[in-house]
Amino acid sequence: MGIAADKLTALVADPERFAFSAGDLRETQVAALDERFQERRDRIRLLGLRARDAGIEGIARIEDVVPVLFPHTAYKSYPESYLMDERWDRLTKWLGTVSAHPIEGISLDGIDGIDDWIARLAEQGHFISCSSGTTGKSAMLIASQKDMDWSRIDTVNVFAWGSGVVPAQDRLIIGCAPVATVPKNAAIAQAQYEAFANPEWPRWAYPVPPITVGSLTAMVVMRKKIAEGTARPDEIAAFEETSAERARLVADAVPATAQFIIENRHRKLQLSGLWNGLWQVAKAVRDAGYGREDFNPDNSIYVGGGLKRAQLPADYQDYVFETFNIPADRHFQNYSMQELNSGMPKCREGGRYHVPPWIVPVLLDKSGDEALPHAGGEQEGRAAFFDLSLDGRWGGVITGDRISLDHSPCACGNHGPSIRDDIARYADLEGDDKIGCAGTVDAYVRGVA
Amino acid sequence: MNEIAQPEVSEDLVSAPFFLRGEVLHGTDVIQTSRDLGVTFATPRIPFDRAVPPRTEVPPLLNVPLAEIIDFLVETGQRLLAHDNPHMQECIERMCRTHILPRAVVENTARHAAAYLDKRVLMAEVEQNFPDPRALDEWVPKQDFTGRKSFVRAFAPRLIHVLPGNSPGVAVKSVAQGAMVKGINLFKMSSADPFTMVAILRTMADLDPTHPIVRSMSAVYWRGGDDATERVLYRPQYFDKIVAWGGGDAINNVIKYLGPGFQLVSFDPKTSISMVGREALVDEATIDRVADLCSADVMTLNQEACVASRFQFVEGDEAAVDRFCARLHHHVARRAAESGDVRPLDMDMREAVESMTLMDDEYGVWGRTDGRGLVIRSDEPVDFHPINKTANVVRVDSLDDAVKWINVATQTVGFYPFDRMAAYRDRLAAGGAQRIVHLGEAGPSTIGNPHDAMYPLHRFVHWMAHEDGRG
Repeated sequence: MGIAADKLTALVADPERFAFSAGDLRETQVAALDERFQERRDRIRLLGLRARDAGIEGIARIEDVVPVLFPHTAYKSYPESYLMDERWDRLTKWLGTVSAHPIEGISLDGIDGIDDWIARLAEQGHFISCSSGTTGKSAMLIASQKDMDWSRIDTVNVFAWGSGVVPAQDRLIIGCAPVATVPKNAAIAQAQYEAFANPEWPRWAYPVPPITVGSLTAMVVMRKKIAEGTARPDEIAAFEETSAERARLVADAVPATAQFIIENRHRKLQLSGLWNGLWQVAKAVRDAGYGREDFNPDNSIYVGGGLKRAQLPADYQDYVFETFNIPADRHFQNYSMQELNSGMPKCREGGRYHVPPWIVPVLLDKSGDEALPHAGGEQEGRAAFFDLSLDGRWGGVITGDRISLDHSPCACGNHGPSIRDDIARYADLEGDDKIGCAGTVDAYVRGVA
Repeated sequence: MNEIAQPEVSEDLVSAPFFLRGEVLHGTDVIQTSRDLGVTFATPRIPFDRAVPPRTEVPPLLNVPLAEIIDFLVETGQRLLAHDNPHMQECIERMCRTHILPRAVVENTARHAAAYLDKRVLMAEVEQNFPDPRALDEWVPKQDFTGRKSFVRAFAPRLIHVLPGNSPGVAVKSVAQGAMVKGINLFKMSSADPFTMVAILRTMADLDPTHPIVRSMSAVYWRGGDDATERVLYRPQYFDKIVAWGGGDAINNVIKYLGPGFQLVSFDPKTSISMVGREALVDEATIDRVADLCSADVMTLNQEACVASRFQFVEGDEAAVDRFCARLHHHVARRAAESGDVRPLDMDMREAVESMTLMDDEYGVWGRTDGRGLVIRSDEPVDFHPINKTANVVRVDSLDDAVKWINVATQTVGFYPFDRMAAYRDRLAAGGAQRIVHLGEAGPSTIGNPHDAMYPLHRFVHWMAHEDGRG
């Protein structure tokens, strides 16, 4: 590993880690980027191809890294037929083109579905996380044991910094959302439990069937079969039935969770979930006649992700905080994504997301082709990050997000780069106003649930 | 609502006026964005009352004879081509700033479009669509075998046309068809081309500002999917049919307004393919000739059109098919260079192709992702949509194996050799395809032939019966 990169990642638990300004960090970050580039260019085949295409031999300035950043779509560039036809040897080979470590010694005989394939990779220290695309392909992100260990440490630090909650093993953790069973989520949940939960109180797991990568890809595969016209009516009917059953279980999970919360209202709670689930559980609690005065004023909450297109009343956030008596300075939020290995917590004083020293933010133009020149002050553009903590795959990612990045000090007193709380996805901003006569059969596919 | 923003004084801001039944409306009330290029343009607000005449008004064209309408369209066509027509010249200037295709391609297609306004072409169109075209001009008497009498009329409909942005030809065709069925027409222009339709209508208004055709046409722009506008207009009280091109969000949004009395006539988004038999691979000269034919279909409107071939099923062993791929790449690249089109591939496709380059034992890749022409050879169609001068050659042992990839979105199948077409057409139709053509001739079609598996004019009109009793 590189000296400069180690210097930056060593700050993981430093309480002052967000105080370093971009200027303070630049020289070390550039050196760290170059270290990473030099050690990985021959190990990650896609990186090697990119570097050759762009004629890049080294990183001398932060902008130099742009041509070798991977778009978030790089991790879904495998041909979908590998999944549909269960061609595990091909999928493994594809994974090898984006992995930083050679994928060897995986037995591919008699694999029973993608979950089994993922389990066998995990046995050899390759951990696959999947993004949850219901209409499109899932991204497959490979990570190493080192990445799992890092996630465990980072998640606790990020939450403690952003919420002010001390890891004192004194809470009852209540999950209010179905969580995809991928290794990274499991590692994070376990670390949160070990740091914040009273070890005598087991975590309330949201009572829904596990969302495995297999169940996620089943939906994608079905959609593709419908598009190709190979899905038979009985098959679609069976799929719809399974979906309806699942929807019923998901609906039942809300009152069950609300009931559990009410029974444990005297305990110090830590709620976690996505806004949609949290709001629904809060509503069920309110409907049962409970609210703020019934809950501990020291309760805390961990909200992951945005709205994911759920339709909620305008005051959904206050409604959730109010119901569970969450103090105003505990409104923790974190900016991260499956593609990165570290979080960027929102500060309580300035309301901005802070970039840690081992993540190098690069602001690109909307198309993601070029770095924007520094104009000083806050600038808007497409977010790209290089997460120096990543070990199992390339750390440089071009996101689909539009962010406003500022290198000047934040109201909270920290001098590091920070991001305004108005992150949006370009895909959501654009809408689809473009029509032409050319198009694909996808336009003919009515979704499956 | 459309986004209301302060107009910025900028060179990139072009003005897109509206046309309302003979009057041109200028304005910069709303700043719009053309998605493809991120260019902004300014439009007026839509004066709804002027765009939607009440149903109490009989359509102005109703009793204008079809022959006179066609004469006027032909005259319009000549004016569209005239070098002293300021509207078309200005339109081409403006379109070059908002269109993704290079100038020469835009100019050419705009000129070609006018060729549709030909008397014989228009008459053939009408005669193929209606068993008795007189129904457009008069109440045609009928009598059944019981002796009951009646009159039937192909009555002038009220149409909203949602125009695509990828082909100026569709603008010309839509205005001609809307006129020939004598309808009241409102054209919703696309952000990729908010100019051509207005330029055509202004050319007509210059010929005769009070002509009933001119008084039957309006063209406006709003951002597709804008509820504030669509909730107002998409009602059976105002329109009979919505004639929509394309798919995706644009159509999904329209669907929620459909109901009794407000129907969709959809020109669905389509994918076209080629089927190349082993006869093409017999020797190098034949390979080159057939690859050239194939490249002509791939590069139709630089692969922006629905007739442009995206997947080429080629019958043969890998070595022979690879020789075909190499020549196909040569010809695609040549045509790309001749057109001056160097748009690079978008990010998703670039990623997918790079991944295939790395999996080189399974795929063949000719060319780069630089937008100068690319051919990918695979054993199954790739799962991205080949666009922007990209051909996906799918190697098959027999063309029979290609039939399973035909689906309801398959429009044109360019075929070689021609004498095997009849052996495949039934299976292609059963799969959902709509046209089978000689390879290299994806563009032209027999005048008056069905489009998107229907005779559109026949569907546009409001069939009205006047029952006249028995005897």
